[in-house]
Order: sequence, then C-alpha cells, then structure tokens
Amino acid sequence: MFATISRRGVLTGTAALLASTALPRLALAQGGGRLIVAADSEPRQLNPAIVASNGVFFISSKVIEPLAEASYDAGGLKPLLATGWEGSEDGLSITFALREGVSWHDGTPFTSADVAFSAMEVWKPLQNIGRSLFANLETVETPDPLTAIFRFSKPTPLQLIANALPVVSSVLPKHVYEGSDIAENPANRALIGTGPFKWGDYRPGEYYLLTRNDSYWGEGLPHLDDIVFRVLPDRAAAASSLEAGEVHLAAFSSVPLADLDRIAKVPGLSVVTRGYEALTYQLTVEINHRTGILSDLKVRQAIAHAIDKDFVLDTIFLGYAEKATGPVPANDPTFYTPDVTTYPFDIAAAKDLLDEAGYREGPGGTRFSLRLLPAPYFAETRQFGDYLRQALAAIGIDAQIVPHDAAGHIKAVYTDHAFDLAIAPTVFRADPAISTTILVRSGQPDGVPFSNQGGYANPDLDALIDEALVTLDPGKRVALYKDFQRMVTADLPLINVADWSFTSVVADSVTGVATNPRWVVSNWAETGLSE
Amino acid sequence: MTRPFLRRPEALLGGAILLALILIAGLAPLIAPGDPLAIAGRPLIPPFTDAGLPLGTDRLGRDLLAELIHGARTSVAVGLSAALVAVFAGMTVGTAAGFAGGAIEAALMRIVDAFQIVPGFLLALAFVSVMGPSLWVVVLAIALGAWTGPARLARARVLSLRESDFVAAAKVMGMSPAEIAFRQIMPLALPPVLAVASVIVAAAVLTEAALSFLGLGDPNSVTWGAMIAEGRNQLRSAAYLSIIPGIALVLTVISTYLVGEALTDSLTGRDKR
Repeated sequence: MFATISRRGVLTGTAALLASTALPRLALAQGGGRLIVAADSEPRQLNPAIVASNGVFFISSKVIEPLAEASYDAGGLKPLLATGWEGSEDGLSITFALREGVSWHDGTPFTSADVAFSAMEVWKPLQNIGRSLFANLETVETPDPLTAIFRFSKPTPLQLIANALPVVSSVLPKHVYEGSDIAENPANRALIGTGPFKWGDYRPGEYYLLTRNDSYWGEGLPHLDDIVFRVLPDRAAAASSLEAGEVHLAAFSSVPLADLDRIAKVPGLSVVTRGYEALTYQLTVEINHRTGILSDLKVRQAIAHAIDKDFVLDTIFLGYAEKATGPVPANDPTFYTPDVTTYPFDIAAAKDLLDEAGYREGPGGTRFSLRLLPAPYFAETRQFGDYLRQALAAIGIDAQIVPHDAAGHIKAVYTDHAFDLAIAPTVFRADPAISTTILVRSGQPDGVPFSNQGGYANPDLDALIDEALVTLDPGKRVALYKDFQRMVTADLPLINVADWSFTSVVADSVTGVATNPRWVVSNWAETGLSE
Repeated sequence: MTRPFLRRPEALLGGAILLALILIAGLAPLIAPGDPLAIAGRPLIPPFTDAGLPLGTDRLGRDLLAELIHGARTSVAVGLSAALVAVFAGMTVGTAAGFAGGAIEAALMRIVDAFQIVPGFLLALAFVSVMGPSLWVVVLAIALGAWTGPARLARARVLSLRESDFVAAAKVMGMSPAEIAFRQIMPLALPPVLAVASVIVAAAVLTEAALSFLGLGDPNSVTWGAMIAEGRNQLRSAAYLSIIPGIALVLTVISTYLVGEALTDSLTGRDKR
C-alpha cells in the first residue's frame, strides 16, 4: 500500500518540501529583511566622489555618504556627516562642523582629515561636477578633527555650495586612498564608506549585495538587513519580476510608462512619483551652432515652434512630465520663473521664420537636411528622436537619425561634435550653477559630457553666469538666474522641451519610501520592510 | 519522375505569397504614399477599429499598415541583395578554388572555413557595430556570414565537372583557364547553388529583422524587426504592435522557404513522394 506512488502524494510531498525551504527566508524577513531592487545598468565606475551621477549614486549612496542630504523640510537639507555649516561674510570661507562618533566600515574613525583629503584630492581635481564647482577652492583647513574650513580664492555663495552638498560631497576614507592612484584604487570596486550599508558582493550581470552596517552612527538604523540590486536590463523583465514578487522596487522609471497603468492596478504594488524632486531631468534639444544654418536664431525659433509639447507629454511621457519653459524646471522652489519667452506649437509660424531666414522649400518640400542624434540612454529620448524627425519634416527640415550606443553617442556629440541636433536628458540639480549653466557657458574644453559642446558663445550670457557665480546675496543670485532663464529662452542656445521626473514601482511591504527629494539616490537608512 | 516546378502546391503557395510581397514592396510608394513614419493619427489605435487606419497606430501615432508595407521593402531589398552578394561571392571563390586546385584551393577553402566557424549572426553584429548601421552595411554584414555555403557547393560541383570531356575539349581549343572556369563550368555549377539561395534569402530576412530588433538597423527606414522591438515595450498592453510585423515576417520566411524547397526538388530531380 505505501509503495504505491500517487500523483497527489508526490504533489503534496513537493509542496511540503518547497514550503520548508521557503520558511527560513520568511522568518529572516521579519527581522530586518532583504530589500530586492531592480537595477537596469551596471556602472563601470562606482565611486560617487569621482562620478557624481545618478546611476552611480543609486547603488553607492548606501555605502558612501555626503556631508548633507536633500530634505523636504524648510532649508532643503538634512545633516549627515556634517552637522552644521556657516559661510563667512566675505564669501571666502565656509566652516563645516562634522559629526562625532562616526567610523569607517573598516573601523577607522572619520575625521576632518578625510573631508579635506576628499575635497582637495578628489572632488576638485577629479569629479565631473566638483571640477567647476570647487575651481576656486584653495585649501581646506582642519583645526580639529571635527571642523573643516573650506577657503576659496573668490567669493563663493554658501547657497550654491549648500545646494550642491548632496551631489558633490561624498566623503572618501583618506587612509584607504592616500598615496594611491585614486581613479584606479581597488576600493572603487569594493566601496568603503560611513553609510548604513557595507559593500557585500558584486556578480557582473547578476547582482550587487550590500549588507547592514551594525555600527552605523544613526540610532537604531538602518532598518534593513541587506539590499540586493538585481541586474535586470530588460525593462519588461523588471515589470514581471515585480508582479511575481521577486523584486520589491523598480526605480528610475524602469517599468515602461506604457505598463504603469496596468501595474498600478496589481494588488500589493504602487506607483510612486515622489522622491525625485531634486533630480529633475529635462528633455533638451542640443544645437550645434557651428552648423551655419543653426547659428541663425530664426531657424532655432522655427524648430522650437515645430515641437508640439502637448503631444510629447501625452504620447511619449504619458502625462508623467511637465512642459518645460526654460532651463530651470517648474518644480524648483527657488529659481524658477515662468516669465520667459515661450514658443507655442505653430507650424505656420515656423515655416514663415524659415522663409524669412532665407531657407525656402526646395523640390519635394525640403529646405535642408540635418543630423539628429538622440541620446540612447532612455526610451523617452529615443522616442522623442523619432518624434522630432517627423515634427521637423512637417516644416520642411529633413532630419536623419544617426544612431549610436551610449559611449559612441557621448564621443560623437561631446568630443567630435559630429551632430547638428542632439537630444539629451540634462539634469537640474537644485541650483543652476551645478549642472545647468555649463550647458550654455562658452569655453568648455572638448570632451566634457553634458556641457556646452555646441560651440555657442554669447558674451552677455557668459558675463551673467560669471557674475551669479560670485554673488553672495541669495536674493540677488535668484534674480540673476531668472535673467539667465530669460536670456536662454530668448536666444535658444538649446531648446528645453519637457521637465521630466521618474516613477518608482514599489511593493506595499516597503516602508520609508520617498522620504526626501533625492530618495532613490539617498542612503535608505530609514527604509524597511513590513510583513 | 519529377513534376515541373509550377505544378507543385508548395511552389504555388509560396510563390503567390512571395510575388504579392515583392509587388507590395515594389509599389509601396504608390500603395502607401508619403513618409511611412509620419504621424497619422491618435497613438495606439487598435487594429480593425478605424477604416482610415486599418491596422491601427503605434506608440507615436504612426500608421501601422504604411509601416508594414514600407517594412516589406526593406526586408525584400535586404533579403534579395544579401543573397545576391553571397551567391556571387561564394560562386566566384568556390569555382576558383575547385578549378585551380592545389595550394590556391587549400588557401581559399581555409578562408571559407574561417568564416564558417564564426556564427553568421555574430559576424553580422560585429560588422554593423563597427561600420555603423545603414542599409548597405547590413546587406554586406549578412552576406559575410552567408557566402560560405554557396562557395562549398560550387567547389564540390566544379571538382566533378572539371574532369568532364567538354573541359578537356575546351583546353584543346586553347581557352584560358579563367575562361574555362567562369564561362564553361560556373554556369553548370549554378543550379544547386540557386536552390540554396532561397534559404539564404529567408535567413537574410530573419537576420535583418534580428539586427533591427537589437537596434542595429537603419533608424531612418522602417523595418519589421525595429517595429517588433518598439512594440515589445507595450507587449502587455498593445501586443498587436509586435504580433502584426511578426506575422509578416513569418509569412515571408515560410513562403521563401517553400519556394526554395520546390526549386531544390525540381532542379535536383529529387521528389520525396
């Protein structure tokens, strides 16, 4: 009797076996839990002090902390490694008070020497944003282990440095990096920081593992036991992994916008649009002013008039974006002004402008041809490329799309200047001086990505940018940057199409989501899992 | 007894589809005038709901039918050109190797081997990545992986033909070796290679679609592969975006294959039934 094997018997046996393997994992999840996150790319360089970009922060910000993090509270900043900062009246120095009782993951105490080393040896000479932001930084004095005084050669507004802190001030351990080739240090691949999570493991093409830092300075933090970033480059796979419960969180719109409506209805999953306010992207048309035709303002205005922003918002962003009026996104609470030149969708006006500029329709209705290079990093930039090609065809401009992979695109646009129009996802980071004015300021060396590589040079605009950079009074700075927006929209060195922020899809069991305006790229100390 | 080509049912079916396809491709500018990538209506209209846009529209509101028709153009053009290049290159090398013999044959056939051991698709992928995607680069890339088959077939056929009496007669008449190889022998080695050519066309259509799917097609012309790739993001909400070009692709490949099968049978005198 017991020798007969029934199908039902096998099934119940298998089920019991499966349940028994699942049990220990469930029990573990109640302690602190393992958060599983979908990651759609694997950055080659993971050191946030060298490459201050969101792709890097997404993973590394949990391990290496900045001096301060962005906050929804008044003032906009939450102290992390620094507890306070104060600028001198002449704008030539900023004093940081540092947190007591912080230690690196290898046990060494964190001191002002680490901050001085990071600022002088990493942020200023090596970092993509710090290179211009800290250009006037002369020395960092360390009168005691918990005080760092930044001394500048020119007046530097505290408002700017404070706004930039979450992005530029990732502190590296001096004792690990000193005397080595910083860019090639092995700690760039196995990060050592002060953050709530320690570096665990990395399997290329599979996952990144971060584990809890039991001696984190934050009382009772972090809540999670570990974080796994599962590499899921296929966007459709991210959506189905969420539905299957294999992944708790997919950030940076890695679930295709077209799938969001459906996903929002899945029980246990929610679509979250908060937590990205301080990293608003703009869909921007970069213009090569070396191309004779495009150096004519009328042609640039015609292109601006040819773009139907409503259509772009509805069909490409499916409503998850706003119309851009200029180089500062409307959701910025400090610098934005709507009082700028706008270019409503008007094909007739666009055609008139091209006629006035002397580019009449040739046989077949074509006036001239241009090369169009959409950045390949986002589905939205590629789709906008397809749209822009058609929008330009409607006013008689024949745009030929030149495809590149990510590396090829950066080289073609920012080093070789082999483009007429390019489509870029430019990022506004809380202050126009951080990564926005560089898009139009002349005199950028060749090869700097996301900078003015279109050969645009406007002495008036340059003077305004330079003046704002040394203006200490916050009110005057804001006024200058409002003028900046007016000048950019009047002269169109580039065309801002949409302010675009991301969406996250989060399992309802995840707590502490979107707690600050850079949540996805912040340290997740307060994020947890509930049963 | 072999039945003539046109009395085979598979030839009729395949031929009819293929002919229709070639007609559609050739007459695309007349059937669907204007830019097939132009925005024609509301985005994501499902198929068979709007008389003006019978197959509906894609994510940006482009007419799916117009895209399909112009996509046929690319598929047919790439398929035929790639097969033509592959057959021409393969025949030339194969005939030269088979007729010359000795060291030249060994050298040429080792080159063929070298190309044959690399998977054709990888070769095409690498070639397009380096050269940058455009229609003619894609054609060359596909031919690069497909010419070895014709080359081996041609060589085998030439090896048996070169001992024939008419070759000896041609030599006696004082014809130059090159003339004998390419004017006397090559035409006779052609039939089996032609039979393989249809398989090459089918494979080329598929390879082209796969390259476009991976984003390595020419972005300024419509291709079925790119349509499927675009639709894939909406697979759960608008599956027709991928299915319609997918069906077109399947029909093309099957019809080419059927014609090839019938051609092989009637050319080689082989008849399974």
